[in-house]
Amino acid sequence: MNIWQRMSSIDRHYVYLLVAATVIFPLIVPAHFPIGISPEARQLYEAVDSLPEGSVVLLTFDMYANNLAETEPIARAALYHLFRKNLKVVTVTTIPFGGPSIAERITRELAAKYHKTYGVDYVNLGYKPNYVSVLKGMGSSIESIYPTDNSSTPLAQLPLMQTVKNYADMKFIYVVADNGIVDYWISIVQAQYGIRVGCGVTSVMAPKLYAYVGSGQMTGLLGGMKGAAEYELLVGKEGLAVTGMGIQSLVHLLIIALIFIGNLGFFMEKRRAARAKS
Amino acid sequence: MSGMELFQIWIMAFFTLAIFSFLYKDNPIYRFAEHLYAGVSVGYYIGLYWDTVIVQQLWVPLTQSKVPEYWLAVPGIMGVLMFSRLSSKYSWMARIGLAFIMGNTAGVFLLSQLHGNVIGQMQGTMSPQMANGSPNAALTAIVVLGVIATLIYFYFSKEHTGALGVTAKVGIWFIMISFGAHFGYTVMGRISLLIGRVYFLYTDWIGSFSQIF
Repeated sequence: MNIWQRMSSIDRHYVYLLVAATVIFPLIVPAHFPIGISPEARQLYEAVDSLPEGSVVLLTFDMYANNLAETEPIARAALYHLFRKNLKVVTVTTIPFGGPSIAERITRELAAKYHKTYGVDYVNLGYKPNYVSVLKGMGSSIESIYPTDNSSTPLAQLPLMQTVKNYADMKFIYVVADNGIVDYWISIVQAQYGIRVGCGVTSVMAPKLYAYVGSGQMTGLLGGMKGAAEYELLVGKEGLAVTGMGIQSLVHLLIIALIFIGNLGFFMEKRRAARAKS
Repeated sequence: MSGMELFQIWIMAFFTLAIFSFLYKDNPIYRFAEHLYAGVSVGYYIGLYWDTVIVQQLWVPLTQSKVPEYWLAVPGIMGVLMFSRLSSKYSWMARIGLAFIMGNTAGVFLLSQLHGNVIGQMQGTMSPQMANGSPNAALTAIVVLGVIATLIYFYFSKEHTGALGVTAKVGIWFIMISFGAHFGYTVMGRISLLIGRVYFLYTDWIGSFSQIF
């Protein structure tokens, strides 16, 4: 086997090892790459930042546990921004597998850090099945869908929920999601109730959703770890996403190099074979 | 860090490494982790739907509320009829519930898709595209050309020759650029997940060594 053949047929185990090394090494010696702020991330940041103090924002935790690496940094940066702006936060989830516990863990942790009181500054409504009914029902009465919060406390006992009866009492919906539910927040809630919706989603979902930003149906978009890193920079609270983007950039450089090596080997071998034949 | 937290971290680390072991080759530890995950997921979903649907939305309002909501018996019965699929003789009864679901879903989604996707996206396509806060003619032309060319690519009632063929080829370019963007984002997403797991192993799991050893 000559060098060109070797280059175009590197054993996949070596590729895995190289990727693993590229991910692990920057954790020991951090790598920093510049992170540009996209107009969509800035739009979302400015939409939240321009809300008057005390406004109610619905923050959704529509996420499974397996995508936490992308969604948790977005949710944390969003919640940090909302609490810092002294906005009232109501959280819900349409995902049973992870959503309620993730919402509970992150909101309780950040609320304690920023001295927010449960029931007054924020409420976690938790999960209810059948997202279409939930999204539509909250437009007329939140209490009819969520008679109690995530800890089974009746909404009547939560001061914040005395002023929040449906979407009309909210100023913004901040969707953090890793699945197709975003389409329904747009098509059911934004389109039919006119409330502004901004989203932070996984990378896989982001390209499709740019169409909603372009049409003005979505107010800002964060795509995956890059979007989370942009938002962390905008709110001035660097976390896992900013750290992760250094690693991400290195791995991308490695992938580009491997694609180049593989293609170079393939074409050079093809050329060599053609010459040998002639 | 409590003993329970340590135990959780080690369990998480074990299953993370068990799944990663598949990268070398298929093995019993990977299969154990995979099957356990599938089993736990199914068990969790059954318990969850039993509590949130059957108990909270059917049994409690039907039997324990001050004004019993007897109408809930109708969807309850339709739900039970779904199990008639298990019998070849009475399987037709399941169609009652299915017909209701189909009709209801079609009605709800017809309106929402029309509002959210059809009208909203058509408006977005026809409106001038913005760049740095002001209308941009070049961007608008690209969007209009891209939409028309892509739609023509999916028009199969006439052979793609002549002007139609050229436009369809332009459409393919737009589709390929879109696929490229999707693929690039997918790679980024998968690397993000790997970073998340490795970050957990490095900070939480290896970090817990000092408490044990």
